[in-house]
Amino acid sequence: MANLSGLNTGVANPNPNKSFEVLPAPSDSVSSLSFSPKANYLVATSWDNQVRCWEILPGSSQPKASISHDFPVLCSTWKDDGTTVFSGGCDKLVKMWPLMSGGQPTQVAAHDAPIKEMAWIQQMNLLVTGSWDKTLRYWDTRQAQPVHTQQLPERCYALTVLYPLMVVGTADRHLIIYNLQSPQTEFKRITSPLKYQTRCLAAFPDQQGFLVGSIEGRVGVHHLDDSQQSKNFTFKCHREGNEIYSVNSLNFHPVHHTFATAGSDGAFNFWDKDSKQRLKAMARCPYPIPCSTFNNDGSIFAYAVCYDWSKGAENHNPATAKTYIYLHSPLESEVKGKPRIGTGGRK
Amino acid sequence: MGKKKKRPSKVWCYYCDREFDDEKILVQHQKAKHFKCHVCHKKLSTAGGMAIHVLQVHKETVTKVPNAKPDRESTDIEIFGMQGIPPEVLAAHYGEDEEASAKVAKVEVPPNIPVSGVVPGPLGVGFPPAPTYGAVPPVYNTALPMQPPSWPVPPRAQSWYPPQPPIPVPPAPRVLPPQPLFPIQNVTPLTSTAAPGLQSSFQVGPPGLPSSTPPSVSQPLFPITSTSNAPAQSSPFLASTLPATVASSSPTVYKGAADMNSISNTPATSGYPAQSNQGGAPYTNSHMYASGPNTGGPSIGPPPVISNKAPATQPATNEVYLVWDDEAMSMEERRMSLQKYQVHDETSQMNSIDAAIDRRISESRLAGRMAF
Repeated sequence: MANLSGLNTGVANPNPNKSFEVLPAPSDSVSSLSFSPKANYLVATSWDNQVRCWEILPGSSQPKASISHDFPVLCSTWKDDGTTVFSGGCDKLVKMWPLMSGGQPTQVAAHDAPIKEMAWIQQMNLLVTGSWDKTLRYWDTRQAQPVHTQQLPERCYALTVLYPLMVVGTADRHLIIYNLQSPQTEFKRITSPLKYQTRCLAAFPDQQGFLVGSIEGRVGVHHLDDSQQSKNFTFKCHREGNEIYSVNSLNFHPVHHTFATAGSDGAFNFWDKDSKQRLKAMARCPYPIPCSTFNNDGSIFAYAVCYDWSKGAENHNPATAKTYIYLHSPLESEVKGKPRIGTGGRK
Repeated sequence: MGKKKKRPSKVWCYYCDREFDDEKILVQHQKAKHFKCHVCHKKLSTAGGMAIHVLQVHKETVTKVPNAKPDRESTDIEIFGMQGIPPEVLAAHYGEDEEASAKVAKVEVPPNIPVSGVVPGPLGVGFPPAPTYGAVPPVYNTALPMQPPSWPVPPRAQSWYPPQPPIPVPPAPRVLPPQPLFPIQNVTPLTSTAAPGLQSSFQVGPPGLPSSTPPSVSQPLFPITSTSNAPAQSSPFLASTLPATVASSSPTVYKGAADMNSISNTPATSGYPAQSNQGGAPYTNSHMYASGPNTGGPSIGPPPVISNKAPATQPATNEVYLVWDDEAMSMEERRMSLQKYQVHDETSQMNSIDAAIDRRISESRLAGRMAF
């Protein structure tokens, strides 16, 4: 059973879902994955200070290029035209890398502490970065100074942008919602509906709300409008036996608007929030999944299997730690929404 | 739930006298409440270790264990879980505890006595003595509905009854299976309560209690009924929701460790004696080792073998715990503090991270290499 094999970490099959493995894998854990919005190019940032790019072709992956930072890279994002990649991390700066044209990376942003999250806002032509220095900064890539610096109540842990909605999750469970049409003002600041540290966020494709995941194996579905508050709910996931794992990543399918969760238990699941069902539970991998993403049309789901530090430094053995990046082609049954089951919905 | 009796009473915390069903939860409680550095929130493994950490890292002296009762505040006594408790304190606690539990046990007895004379009537099905009590199976049926209001109590009641101990012998192999089988077994035992044989009773036992609650599941979770049609897919999901469901209806039973998790399931004593064996060894290991790991850097060679969270020694109890439980810091921050410093102590303060990075940058600049 997948459960039992998952208990023997390290010895078990690292690829129980028979996903396509992207090679060569980074030498240390992967911190973020992002696909180009225009083509199947995958970028992975890693704790080994590298940012790598692969071209994903049917049945194969070609490493294309890579750049390096001086410290672990934590986040990455593509520009909307699919030509440029931004990456940032513990070196407290962001590099803009016009890789499709073969250009060299240049620094475009800086913070006072490691940069945890970033996103490209096409409609504003700005890059927004969130850092552990408790600020959100907006950057026009041609200027060295930020266009705007927004104070956050605490260190930025999670970010999701879908113009004009932006939600920032910080330490101490703050969730700050911005309307990017007036980014200087917080649209709303709430405390996370989950009782534990915020880990990841994802905005609904229709911008009516967002998903929030925490370290306590739980995802909250939250609507922005007060009139829709009754549709809010939370559900538990990524729990095995009496262990509760963190939900590390939330990603909406670009076409079907169902979503995937990936957790420290090494599993990823597909869910439909409208019918409140789990569409598919994938087999557990022996290592946690720290990050995942869909490609632009939802035909590829990329996920990394490597240690995410969820059990502290004690469980990390650099000599034997493995890192994998897998690509899963979701079947329609796994990501297509299903009608609500049961009469009148479950109550 | 489990047929074997737990320790003489549940485990309890020396510092604050709170009780827990499971030593692992007790250890986590101690780490979070008593062995936590008040400056950087680092959780140590003993009071002494915490005092040393605060002294060495923050240059402060700690004389009292935080959140401890007035006469239990000394940092000199080396307590880890249930180990290290002075015998007189131990005896005093159990002296009180036995009275309380005995009362509880007696409360459970009356409903069953008229029929079988043995309290664990509901769980007596399948016990070796069971066949001698022909009336037991019907008791089980009728007792089931009675259980939900008082289900947290029966496990305590069970633990006082001799028939229990013989049962625990086989559970060692049984420790693992019940977990994934939970949801599947739930459906059948309800209907076949008089199932003969030890095996089925085990599966009946543990889910016997939670199984009475599914009807009351009204949490806005993804539908359990639907998942019962696809047990393979949903079993892990179900296994985790059931204990949570059960616990949510009896939060008061699970005293303490509230800071750790809001979900707990007290009645599941399945695998308990086996767990105590398992729990003892790794705790000892991690104890001796633990004065290092929280404070140690990557110089620690064989960390994967011993885990502070002890998830590898998976006892089949339903007490749940967070794999990442540090609310004050994210995984990346913790990792970052380690990677960069290789220092003996991990701290999560950003200014420390910044300072160290700045130092590196200035060092490399001095060496003639530009960092950026």
